[in-house]
Amino acid sequence: MVSRQRYQLKRHHKFEQDDRKYVADLETGDLVQVNDVEWEILARYASQTRHRMVERLKGKYKLTAIFEGIERLERLGEQDILLSPIVEPIAPMRANRKQTDRMPKLLVPFHFTQEKSALDYLTGLNRYQFLRHLSAFVELETLAFSEIGEKKEIPDFDEVRVRKVDIPKSSALMAPWYALDGYDGILLLSQFLTEDLFYYRVPDVPVVHCIEGVQQLQHVLPKTLLTLSAFQRSKDTLVVKASWMKEWLAELGVPVENVRVIPDGIDIGAPIGDKVLAKQHTAAIFEKPMFTKQPVVGLISGFEPKRGAAWITAFARANPHLAIFVYDAMLAEHYQHPPENVVIFRADDEETLSVLPIFFQALDLVCFPAMPGTPLSIVLEAMAFGAPCVAMSKYGMPEEVASAGVAVAADWDNFGNFRVPMAELSKTIHKWLKPSQVRGVCENFSERIVQRHTRKGTAGAIVRVFEESFQRETDDFGETERTLFPPIFCRQYEPETGALRSCVYRLGINRDNNDLEEALAEVLAEGHTSAEVASVFKHFQRESPVCM
Amino acid sequence: MLGFPKILHQLHLFEEDSVPYVADLDKARVIELSAVMMDILKLAETQTDDAIVETLSASYEEDDISEAFERFAELEREGLLFNRGEDLERSLATESKWRKLLVVIPGINPDSFFDIETLSAGTNMALAYMIRHLTKYADLHFAGSRNRKIADGVYEVDISIDDLVRLRSKIAETYYGILTLHQEHERWLLPLYRYPEFPPILVQNHAPRGHGGQAINSMLRHYAAMRDCDGFTAPSDYVRDFYAGYVWDPSFFNTLPNGVDSRLFCPMDKAAAKREIAEWVGDERIEIAPTVGYLSRVQSEKGASVYLKLAALNPHLIFMIAGPDMGRYASREVPKNLVYVGFHPREKLPLIYNAFDVYCFPSMSGEETFGLTVLEAMACAVPPVVPNFDGVPSVVGDAGLVADADNFDQDIATLVSYPCPMSFSEKINTLLNNTQVWETFSEKARQRALLFTWDKTARRIVQLFEMLRQKKKLINRNRLLNVFAPAQPVEGEAPEREKCRSVLLSMNTHYERCLMRDAVYPLPVEDGLVLSILKNHTTREAESILAELVTDETEARAILKRVRGLINATA
Repeated sequence: MVSRQRYQLKRHHKFEQDDRKYVADLETGDLVQVNDVEWEILARYASQTRHRMVERLKGKYKLTAIFEGIERLERLGEQDILLSPIVEPIAPMRANRKQTDRMPKLLVPFHFTQEKSALDYLTGLNRYQFLRHLSAFVELETLAFSEIGEKKEIPDFDEVRVRKVDIPKSSALMAPWYALDGYDGILLLSQFLTEDLFYYRVPDVPVVHCIEGVQQLQHVLPKTLLTLSAFQRSKDTLVVKASWMKEWLAELGVPVENVRVIPDGIDIGAPIGDKVLAKQHTAAIFEKPMFTKQPVVGLISGFEPKRGAAWITAFARANPHLAIFVYDAMLAEHYQHPPENVVIFRADDEETLSVLPIFFQALDLVCFPAMPGTPLSIVLEAMAFGAPCVAMSKYGMPEEVASAGVAVAADWDNFGNFRVPMAELSKTIHKWLKPSQVRGVCENFSERIVQRHTRKGTAGAIVRVFEESFQRETDDFGETERTLFPPIFCRQYEPETGALRSCVYRLGINRDNNDLEEALAEVLAEGHTSAEVASVFKHFQRESPVCM
Repeated sequence: MLGFPKILHQLHLFEEDSVPYVADLDKARVIELSAVMMDILKLAETQTDDAIVETLSASYEEDDISEAFERFAELEREGLLFNRGEDLERSLATESKWRKLLVVIPGINPDSFFDIETLSAGTNMALAYMIRHLTKYADLHFAGSRNRKIADGVYEVDISIDDLVRLRSKIAETYYGILTLHQEHERWLLPLYRYPEFPPILVQNHAPRGHGGQAINSMLRHYAAMRDCDGFTAPSDYVRDFYAGYVWDPSFFNTLPNGVDSRLFCPMDKAAAKREIAEWVGDERIEIAPTVGYLSRVQSEKGASVYLKLAALNPHLIFMIAGPDMGRYASREVPKNLVYVGFHPREKLPLIYNAFDVYCFPSMSGEETFGLTVLEAMACAVPPVVPNFDGVPSVVGDAGLVADADNFDQDIATLVSYPCPMSFSEKINTLLNNTQVWETFSEKARQRALLFTWDKTARRIVQLFEMLRQKKKLINRNRLLNVFAPAQPVEGEAPEREKCRSVLLSMNTHYERCLMRDAVYPLPVEDGLVLSILKNHTTREAESILAELVTDETEARAILKRVRGLINATA
C-alpha cells in the first residue's frame, strides 16, 4: 500500500475519566490528553491510510480539526510518544503486485478540453494510443469533479476508466488529495504548468511526467520545464520523447538524472506499391509533377512557426532542384504561398492521416532539425520506408537515427534563431541522395525502427519507469527526519568588536555553533530536495553543505 | 513504612495484556505495576500500612509486599502517585475562574519572597514586592516540589521543571500565563518555546548586558526562540530601547517599571534620623555636616571607587556608606569624612535614607537597569545624583541631578561607563549649597517616587499577559508550500545555471486551495527562503538568517514583513 503512514502506532491504552480522554503510551510511560478527533484518529491510525481516516472522519469533524489532530499526534510521534517513526523503505511496486495480485493503479489527471484545443491531431492520437496500450499493463483512473446532484457529462476515454468523485460545493480539498487514495503512481500528460504541479506534493506516490516537444508550446516550454524540474523528487521521472529533448534540458540546467527518453510508438501504413507509384500519387494529390521528376526530400519541421517559414523559403530557394515535402503542424494551416518546389502538410483527421504514408513512401531523404518541436515519431514514420536522414543538430547525430544518416551541425537558441550553413546542408543532402552502400544500411534500419518503436514497447517502458521509481532512494521531505539537536537561529553580540553576528544555538547540547549553513541546510531539507537546497546556497553565494 | 493512608493523585488503574498499570493524571505518567502494587493502591487511601499488609498477606508473600512498598517509596520520591505536601485539590481546582499564574523561578525558595530580610539583591527585592502585589490580580502558583499554601493566593505546587513539558496541556488549561525570570545559564526555558500549547510566557529581564556580553547573548537567544505570544519585561524604557538596537522587533520588550513602598519609604524628621545614626556609629559629624549617602554593595562595579574620590574632593561633607561590608576597601586608607554605617534590616532603611541629604548612585555596571535604591531614596524625599547612564536617569526624571559619565560603546570587563567624579561633585554641591534648590528637588523626588507603585507594576503584568494572550490567538501555522526552481532563461541569452527563483503553490499542506487565481506564483529566493524557515522556526530566527544573508537591512526587514503578511493572509 502506498501513501502509507510515516508513523506506526505504539502499544497504548485509551481511557476516559471525568469527561476527559487520555491515551497512555505503555512503552515510554507518557500520558497524553487528547480531544475527540484525536481519539478517533488513534483508533484508525494502525489500519487506515491518512486519506481514508480523513474521508471517514470528515462528516463528523471539520477538516482542519482532523488535519491538525493528525499533525499533533505526529508531532508527538517525532518524540516517539504514542507513535513511532517508520524507518524501513517503501516496498517496490513489483513486490506489491505479487502480494495483492492486482494490476498497479495509476492516476492520470487530465484536462481534456484545454489539451485538445492546444495540441495537434497527431499528438492527441499518439496520446490516446499510448494510454490504450498502457491499460494492458496497469489500471488507469482519472478524476472528474462535479457538484453533488449535478448531472455533468464526463468525457469518456475508452480504456481509461473515469473515476467520478462527487464533492460538495464548499469542499476545501483539492484534486491531489484524491491521489492519496491507493494509487501506485501518478502519470502526468498535461503540457500546462498548472494544477498538475500539485501532484508532486502527494507524498510517497511517484510521478511520471511526459513532456511533448510540440511547437504550439515552445514559448512556455523552458519555464515550464525549469519549474517542473524543481518540483521533482528523486522518485519522480520526467519522460521526453527524443534524445535531443534531454540534451536540451541538460543545457538548460535541468538535472537529467531522472529524465528518461521514451519515444512514442509509431504506426506504419502498408506500402502502396513501390516508391515510383508513391511519388506519382504524391504528385497527383498536390498537383505538382515535380514529385515524379525531382528528388523528394521530406522536411519534418519543428521550427518556431514564424521563423520556420522564412527558413523553409531560404532552404527551398537554395535547393531548387529538390521537391520538398514539409510536415509542419502549424505552418500547414498558415503558410499560404510557399515557394514553388515546397508543399506543406499536416494530418488533422483520419482522412488526411490515411494519405500520410503515401508521402513518406515517396521520400528519398528525410531532413529534420533535432530540436524540441520536431516530433521524433513522425521522423521515424517518415524514415520507415527506407529513406536516410540528414539531421540538423547541435548535439551531434541523434541516437535514435544513428546508423541511418548524417548530422549537419546546426545551432539555435530559444527555438527561434535556427542557424545552419545552407551550402553544407545542400551539399550533404545532395550526397545522401545518391544511391550507395549506405542506402542498404538504411533499409535495414527502417525495419528495426518498426520493431523498436511499438506502442506496446512504449507502454512497457513507462511501467518500468514506475517500477524503478520505487527502488530509488527516497528524499521525501522527512517529517520524520528532525534533527537530533534542534537549531535555534539567533544573533550574537561579540564584546571584542561590539558587532552582531548570526549563529546557531543547539538545544540538547546547549551550545552556540558556527554551523549556520549546516543548520540552514537541515531546515530546508525538511521541505525541499537537495537540488533546491543547493540552488538556494548558490543564490546567496554560500558554500552548500549539501552533498549533491 | 510509607505512612498509608495517603492522598493519591488522580489515578486511573487498568490492565493491558494482563499487565496492571496506573496512569497518574496529575503527572501525566503511566507506571507498570505488579499485582500486589495494584491491590495496595486500591487500599492506599483508606488503610494504614499495617492494615494493608494484614489484608494482603493472605494473597501475597511477605517479600512481595515489602518489595511493593519499596517501589512505592521510590515512586513517591519521584513525585508520582502520592500527593506531596498539603491536599490542595479544592483550592487548586482547575474549574476556578480566577486567573492563575504559574511562576517558575528555579533556584529560589518562594518563601524568601515573603521574608524580605533574607533578600539582598535588588532584583529579588523587586520580585518580592511585585509578587505580593500581584496576588491582588491573580493566584500565584510557584512551580516546586510539593503542594502547600504559602500566603493568601500564593501556593507552591508539585510541578517540577522536568514535569513542565509533559504537563503542557494541563498547564495550558489551568494557567493564564507563565511568569519567569531571565537567568543566563538556564537550560529549561529555551526548549519550552517549542511547544505551542503553553500559555504565554513572560520573562522578566533585569540585566541588559553585563557579564561580558553574556546577558545580551542569552537574551538574544530567548528572543529568537520565543513564540509570537511570549515576551520580556524590561524595568525601564532605557532597557527596552537598548534591546531595540539589537533586534528587529522591539515589541518583545515591554517596560515594567519597579515600584516603591512609599508608606515604608517616606520622609521623616531629618535631624532625628541623623541623630539616631550618629549615635549608632558614634560619629557626631553626621549631625553637624551635610551628608551624602550610598547604599549598595561596596565594589568597583557599583561605583565605590568613584564614591571614595567624591569624599576626597569634598572634605566639608560627610559621605556615608550603608552596605553589607566595606569589601576590599576595608583594608585601605579611606578619606576621613567617609563613614561606614553598617548593614541594617530593611525596616531600618527608611531611617538611613532620611539621614542622607543627597543620595549618590555612581554605579557603572552593565546590569544597572533601574536603580531601586534611587527610587527608595526619592520616596524618602532625598534628592539623588545619578550618572547619565543606563536606565537610572529615566527613573529620576527631573527630580534629581544627572552627572556626566563616559559611556563605552562596548562592554569592557562588564563595565560600560565611568561616571565623572568632578561632575558628580559639582551636582552634589549644587544641591547642598542652596537650601531652596535642595527643597525643590526634595519635594520633586518624593512626588515622582509616588508615581512608581507596586500596584501599577502588578497591573501592568496582568495587562501584558492579556496582550500576549491576544497575540496567541493570532498565531497561524505556516502551511504554505514553495519550491526553489532555476530561473527562466532570457530570450537570446544562454541559460544561467546559477540563477534561481522560488515558486509558491496555491495548494497548502492541508490540500486546500489557499490562493485562487494561479496555481503557482513567482517569489524572490529570499522570500521563498523565509517562507521555508517559518515552517518550523520563529520570525526572529528568520531575522537572524536574513541578517546574515541579505546585506541591505531595510530590504531584509521588508522581506520578513511581506512573507509574514502572506502567511497570515492565507492562513
